[in-house]
Amino acid sequence: MIPIMAWRNIWRNTTRSLVVIGAVAIGIWAAISLSGFAAGMMKSYINNSVQHIISHIQVHHPGFLEEYDVEYALRDAPAVEQLIRSEPGVKAVSVRSLSSAMISSAKGARGVRVKGIVPGDEARVNALDEKIREGEYLSDEMKNPLLISTDLAEKLNVKLRSKVVLTFQDMEGEITAAAFRIAGLFDTGNNPFDEAHVFVRRDDLNRLLEPANSSSYDIPPGALAHEIALMAGDVRQVDAIAESLQKKLPGLDVQTYRQLSPDLELYEGQMTTVSIIYLAIIMLALVFGIINTMLMAVLERIKELGMLMAIGMNKPRVFRMIMLEAVLLGAVAMPAGMLLGYLTIAYIGANGIDLSMYGDTMEEFGMSNIIYFEIEPVVYWQVAIGVFLTAVLASVYPAWKAIKLRPVEALHKI
Amino acid sequence: MKVITTTGVTKVYNPDKIPVQALSGVDLRIEQGEFTAIVGPSGSGKTTLLNIIGGLDRPTSGDVDIGGEDIDAMSDNKLIDFRKNHIGFVFQAYNLIPVLTARENVEFVMLLQNRPKKERRERAEELLRAVGLEDKMDKRPAELSGGQQQRVAIARALAPKPNFILADEPTANLDSVSTANLLDIMARLNREEDITFVFSTHDQRVIDRARRVITLVDGKVASDEVRGGGGKM
Repeated sequence: MIPIMAWRNIWRNTTRSLVVIGAVAIGIWAAISLSGFAAGMMKSYINNSVQHIISHIQVHHPGFLEEYDVEYALRDAPAVEQLIRSEPGVKAVSVRSLSSAMISSAKGARGVRVKGIVPGDEARVNALDEKIREGEYLSDEMKNPLLISTDLAEKLNVKLRSKVVLTFQDMEGEITAAAFRIAGLFDTGNNPFDEAHVFVRRDDLNRLLEPANSSSYDIPPGALAHEIALMAGDVRQVDAIAESLQKKLPGLDVQTYRQLSPDLELYEGQMTTVSIIYLAIIMLALVFGIINTMLMAVLERIKELGMLMAIGMNKPRVFRMIMLEAVLLGAVAMPAGMLLGYLTIAYIGANGIDLSMYGDTMEEFGMSNIIYFEIEPVVYWQVAIGVFLTAVLASVYPAWKAIKLRPVEALHKI
Repeated sequence: MKVITTTGVTKVYNPDKIPVQALSGVDLRIEQGEFTAIVGPSGSGKTTLLNIIGGLDRPTSGDVDIGGEDIDAMSDNKLIDFRKNHIGFVFQAYNLIPVLTARENVEFVMLLQNRPKKERRERAEELLRAVGLEDKMDKRPAELSGGQQQRVAIARALAPKPNFILADEPTANLDSVSTANLLDIMARLNREEDITFVFSTHDQRVIDRARRVITLVDGKVASDEVRGGGGKM
């Protein structure tokens, strides 16, 4: 009967109860949406980094990443490539030659990293061919073709088909320069990356980098490579694949995207911290809203509570009844909030939310302008139970207040 | 036999600020089966005395003993339990639980006593029939007249099979027909079930029916009149 009483008590003041239910439901909704937004942003950042830039795993000569020197080339790259391709779970592999260079046009010059790629392989690893905004992807038809980002093209004041000069050191330390023609303009959506990288065919780059007498480096002509990037079929297998490859390639550095880009992990951690802070703020606001409402519900029933205690309802029972009212309010609000949250995540997860109205800020930080909310199913429960518990905890004070009443005084309250 | 005894009971409200002496040295003995009215002008201490002998309030000094138990020595929670099992209250403003039906209101106290559901239900219905509300059992207080609500309150007070029923101005808000009706019911229960009724009242209609009339003036017993039968009907 006490649950029935508690339930009916809730509906004595429908408006007030609906306000509390609404507040709790909106709290749950906001918390779920916020988590979805944070996770979506994080995923967007990681995906951008992984898919466009880093790939899942990279293999280098030890020391290459520290000095970025062309000398730190992979010995016997074709064999390493073969071994990686035969590793179970590996979906795509791209072998790259890399060099730091100066790119110059009639207007100016900038430092860039030149990535010498095998066009078909690179496309399978990071879908570079799909990011061509103007012109075409690298092909065999043109002599010395080069891909440059739209941003960099603007800065250098060059257009499609313009000629640019790349100047760099070859493996023997000699300064060498060559003219390349812009075959296409790309845009990965990550401005810092776009402005600092250009792509050429690996063969073209190797021809310029390899020493005349390549046998002194025991690298066969055309086989120069500094980096092998690979994508796994399933992101969850990345660690296992990296571990297995590292065992098979003891002399080389095999690193996953997390090791290669520690900022991803930092970012992930920061995003989590920020969402926890937001959640705490939401819950704090909720706590005071609920304390206020439940306190009103108790204070306006002082006389009735006095009567209940007069006729023999003991304090633990009164306490439980008030708490139960809060629990029931929460129990009504919880599914409503979860449903709202689910619908929001499902809709924005499918359609995305376009943040380009804030300019290209997102892209400048390496995220796409369109964020797709997403959330682990367990987060729904974590959030809902968290908010629910908040609601229940917030009722402790009003319930405590209720049992502090002295029946005879309460009865004489009007 | 259950007896209420008060010895030198005083009650001072606001002892630290502006003290109000509500009772000063009340000695009383109320036997089981009495039908007693406590009368007196407003502010004479009727309600205070009733609250104290019902264990709703504690005296500033003096002793209250109900059926051999010293209620001063009880903790708040023990006192609540004691009230639940031994004392039924009827209030001037009825004070039913607004969200429960008449039957549920009567059942509620028995629920607090952890009585089985079937027994609760049967006794609630029996009591509501006894107060003439067999056709109003599923109505909530707001759907009942004042007289009907007060009859539910009496059924509720009787439900836990108490030794005493303390009624604070039970007829103050009722018309004469309802009052007569209510007094008939209470007199019958007093006679047939030997339940002690103690009223605080201004109402001459109640005073006329009482077997013992205790008059309070300024917190003291000014007169204690027993009309044949030692206060019993």
